[in-house]
Amino acid sequence: MGKYIVKRVLLLIPTVILVCLIVFTLMRMIPGDAVDTIVNRLTSSGMSVDADAVRAQLGLDQPFFKQFFTWLWDICRGDLGDSFFENESVWSIISRELPKSLELGLLTLLFTNLLSIPLGLHCAARQDSLTDYVVRMLSIVFMALPVFLLATLVLVYPAIWWNYAPPITWSSIFQDFAANMKMFLVPAILGAITQCAMQIRTIRTVTLEVMRMDYIRTAWAKGDSERTVLFRHAFRNSMIPVITMIGNGLGMVVGGNVILENLFNIPGIGNQVIASLSTRDYPVVMGCTLVFAVVVMVVNLIVDIAYKWVDPRVELD
Amino acid sequence: MQTDVIHKLQKPWFMLSAAEKEVLPHYILGTDSLGRDVLSYLIYGARTSVILCVGCTLLSMLISVAIGTLSAVIGGWFDLVVQRFVDAWQCIPNMLMLMILMSIFGNGMWQLIFAMAVPSGISGSRMIRSAAIGVKDSGYMKVSGQLGCGTIWKTIRHVIPNIMPLVIVSATGALSSAVMMESSMNFLGMGVEPGTPSWGYMITNQGRPNMYLAPWLALLPSIMIALMVFSANMFGDGVRDMLDPRLKGGVGSYNTKRIQKMAAKQLKKFNIKHPTNTGEETQA
Repeated sequence: MGKYIVKRVLLLIPTVILVCLIVFTLMRMIPGDAVDTIVNRLTSSGMSVDADAVRAQLGLDQPFFKQFFTWLWDICRGDLGDSFFENESVWSIISRELPKSLELGLLTLLFTNLLSIPLGLHCAARQDSLTDYVVRMLSIVFMALPVFLLATLVLVYPAIWWNYAPPITWSSIFQDFAANMKMFLVPAILGAITQCAMQIRTIRTVTLEVMRMDYIRTAWAKGDSERTVLFRHAFRNSMIPVITMIGNGLGMVVGGNVILENLFNIPGIGNQVIASLSTRDYPVVMGCTLVFAVVVMVVNLIVDIAYKWVDPRVELD
Repeated sequence: MQTDVIHKLQKPWFMLSAAEKEVLPHYILGTDSLGRDVLSYLIYGARTSVILCVGCTLLSMLISVAIGTLSAVIGGWFDLVVQRFVDAWQCIPNMLMLMILMSIFGNGMWQLIFAMAVPSGISGSRMIRSAAIGVKDSGYMKVSGQLGCGTIWKTIRHVIPNIMPLVIVSATGALSSAVMMESSMNFLGMGVEPGTPSWGYMITNQGRPNMYLAPWLALLPSIMIALMVFSANMFGDGVRDMLDPRLKGGVGSYNTKRIQKMAAKQLKKFNIKHPTNTGEETQA
């Protein structure tokens, strides 16, 4: 077990370097660069600037690989660089924007699992009952609805009927809980509904498969109560794919939900990346992507270890 | 597309009163804020969606089969390097990767197909690779190696036909996620060029600003997107139930035996001898 973890952690290093290389190459392939944006901004405000001087100042006149290794070396020292425009370090931008996205993502994850696990298990335990049919039908419908569509409808009709509108400014959860919830609750529920649909179906199918296993029949045959059969034998074994789903969800939490953030005016990391991408603010985009990737990798590692913990039969290699 | 500026934002035909029906021109699903006929727009939008989704699915399958099978068949250091690359690629959030790729290529239909296909192809190659490794260890692969078959021949002749069911199943999965991605990207305005009719773009461009005056401008394309995702999902489920060996005869699958029987009956009607039919059955 310990050996496995060490091996996985060591494997993270080449992967992180490759992520850096991919992101760096892709960023430099985007046509137009930050220098153009800066020169445009300065000349439109009446200043005369030398594009080459700006380029030299930002270090963009260096050869490709020299820039890459400089950046990599800075990362090794824990420095993600400074934004080209904001006069702020990338770390401080990330630590400012990430909590908002994390809150939205974690709320979404919480609602998704609170809704989908009980419903999925209930549908499997009471197969072909009325609830089962209703939940299955709804999940098929919601699986077909893209989240931006539900969000658009929610932004328009409740505004007419109940004067609901998401707040324009963000307020911290510790300072003003009600205002914070007013901003995050609706998008979180919307995100949860669309993710739920898929998850309920998966949980139901998996649990049904488990319930056709021989050991469940044995449990019934030896006279266990329904409660024991379901909770001790069936549901615990059907939780393994659920862990993968929660892990995937956790990995996505960091990336921020660009569409929901965009529609509900949440100043999260997703919006920040879009904005930086359009101004070609290389350090910000690269830094954010790197942070996302590292979190996803760590979550994947934790999920793999959790597998072993839940299901001792799993062989880690 | 023709614009009828005088009758812009006209209601769909079924929402008009009898008196209005006498006077106003016949636009079955009404018009948008530029006076374009919504029904024709939706029909043209379907073409965009179908080209995008089918093109993206085919290209992504091509990429994942190429990476997955070659990585499995060649093995060794090639496999190790390619797998690390796939690992690294998978860690970057999908939406972010799409946006970076779209800002490299610019708006447009082929660019969008490419931008959607590359990430999904690379992450799909993982599954193809593990299936191909299963094939690689089989006896006939070893024999074909001893007979002197090259890597390419082995891949095309032996590996790909054997993993075809899996490829088709993952293609249907990729299809339904492509529908979703395509409409989201068009919704964010990072999809096809502004002039091209597209349902996702119609919701952002026409639906949201005119939501109070003309709710059908958002609702109609929404219904189309939902139907398209729904049918892609259903198609994928059906194909998976038919082809996925793990689900054969399992819970929730279609009755494949019955379908085979029906197929045999049909074949009998045309007097075609199916290879699996025995002689007695065709005589009876």
